[in-house]
Amino acid sequence: MAEPVITLRHFFERARAGQLTGVRCRKCGELAIPPKELCPACYERAWEPVPLGGEGTIASYTVIRVAPRAFMADAPYAVAAVKLTEGVSILGRIVDIPLERLAVGLPVRFRPIVRNSQTAIGFGPA
Amino acid sequence: MRRVAVIGVGVTKFGKHERTSSELFAEAAADALADAEISADRVQALYYGNVVGSETEHQLHTGPQAASILGIPAIPTTRFEAACASSHAAFRHAVMEVGAGVSDVVLVGGAERVLNVPTPDSTEYFAYASDAVWEQTLGLTFPGVFALIARAHMQKYGTTEEQMAAVAVKNHKHGALNPKAQFQKEITLEQVLKSAYVADPLKLYDCCPFTDGGAAVVLASEEVARKSRRPVWVLASAAASDWMLLGDKRDLSRVPATERAAALAYKQAGLAPTDVDVVELHDCFTIAEIVATEGLGFFEPGAGARAAEKGMTSLGGRVPVNPSGGLKAKGHPIGATGAAQIAEIVTQLRGDAGSRQVSGARTGLTHTLGGNTATVLVSLFGRG
Ligand SMILES: [Zn+2]
Repeated sequence: MAEPVITLRHFFERARAGQLTGVRCRKCGELAIPPKELCPACYERAWEPVPLGGEGTIASYTVIRVAPRAFMADAPYAVAAVKLTEGVSILGRIVDIPLERLAVGLPVRFRPIVRNSQTAIGFGPA
Repeated sequence: MRRVAVIGVGVTKFGKHERTSSELFAEAAADALADAEISADRVQALYYGNVVGSETEHQLHTGPQAASILGIPAIPTTRFEAACASSHAAFRHAVMEVGAGVSDVVLVGGAERVLNVPTPDSTEYFAYASDAVWEQTLGLTFPGVFALIARAHMQKYGTTEEQMAAVAVKNHKHGALNPKAQFQKEITLEQVLKSAYVADPLKLYDCCPFTDGGAAVVLASEEVARKSRRPVWVLASAAASDWMLLGDKRDLSRVPATERAAALAYKQAGLAPTDVDVVELHDCFTIAEIVATEGLGFFEPGAGARAAEKGMTSLGGRVPVNPSGGLKAKGHPIGATGAAQIAEIVTQLRGDAGSRQVSGARTGLTHTLGGNTATVLVSLFGRG
C-alpha cells in the first residue's frame, strides 16, 4: 500500500499555518488542488506535494444572504472561486474585503479561517 | 436491449403536505398504476428516489417503506440518492432492468418532504450535497453555487439579471396552466427584479421553492406496452458526471455533465437537438435553465439568455421549455423531480396537457441535474 502523498488532515494542518499546498504529477506535470489519489491527466499515482503562493484573482463570487443555520450569524458574507497564480482554482470565503468592492479579476491572497477546531479556505486582500 | 415504454404516470399536487414522503409517493404510484391500467401484483421492482429523508423525517430505508405503504412489500426496492437527480438516476437503472429482460413491469418514482422544517435547516440539508470539507465549511449554499455560475456567465457572455428574470416570468406563466403546480400565478419582470437577493446576483424569484411532493411512472417491456392503451417509448436514458468540487471546473459558465449526458442520449436515440419538440429541464435557478438550454444543444453557449428573453423557450416558441412550470413554478420536491419531469413529457406526448399542451409534440426530452452540477441525467421519449 502506497503512503498517501498528502492527506486532508496534513493539507489543513499546513493551511492552518498559512501554507496552501498542491500536488504535482511527477509523470506529466499536472498540478492539482485539493490532492487526489490518481492524476486526472495521466492516471498515474506519482504525486509530490508542492507549496503554492496563495495569490490569485477572483474568477466568480457571490454574497450569501440566506445562510445555512450554522452560518446565519455571519450573513451576509462572500464566497468566491479564486484562480490561483499557478493556474488551479479553489473556492474560499472572502474576509476583510468590503462586499461592494468585490469584482471579477480582483487580486486576493490565501488566508486560513480557523473556527473551533476546523480550518476552512479563505481569501483576503492581496 | 429490449425496447422500453412508460405506460403510466402519476404526480401529487406539489406544495406543502401534512403527509410523509412515503405517503406522497404511494399516492402518485397508485395513480400511475391506475393510469397504466395494470394491477399492482404485476410490478416486479421499485426504483426509488429520496434525498433528505434522514434529515427531515429521521428516516432511512425509504425504499421498502415506500413499497410497504403502497401495498406491495415483497418486491425488490432500491433507493437512489443523486441529490436533485435521484429519481431520474433511478429511472435510468430501471430502464436497464427492463431493457435487459430481467423484469417486464417496474415502478420508478420518488418523493420528498422538506416544508416540515424551517428554511435555515432545509438550506443546510440541501447544502449537504456539496462537499463537506471544501464547500460546506465556507457556508456555501445551493443558491450560492448557481450564483457563482450566473456571475461567470454574466462575465463571459454579458448575460443580464433581466434576462434571467425572463426565465422566471416564463415558467410562472406556464405554471399558472398546471393544476398540480405549487405556484399557479403569473409574475412580472419587475417583481422578479425587485425581489430580495438570496445569493447575489440571484434573487428570491430566481430560485425554485422548497416543495413537498411525490411522482411515479410505470415502465414496461415492449410486449407488455403493446397491450397498453397509450405507451410512450423511452428512446434514450443517459447519465454523466463531473468533478464534485466547483473549484475543479475549468469554466463555471458551462455544465460539462449536461453536455456529456446529452451527447450520449442523442447518440442512443439517433436524434439531434433540432428533433426535440418539448423539454422539461432542471431550472432550480433561472441561470440553470439558461445554461441547460445551451448544454443540451438548443442554443450556442452564451446564446441561451437572449433566447429566453425573446420567448424562444416559451409555449409557442421554437423549443418550448418547462411547459409544466418547471422546478421554478411547479415546485422541486428533490427526490421526486426527475420522475415528475418524465410524467410531464409523457403527458405532453400523449396530447393530454390541456392548456399547456405543446401542439403536435412527438419527441420530448427530460434533463435533471444533481448537486454542484456533478450529476446529470438526460432521457429522450417518443410516441407511436
Ligand atoms: Zn499525470
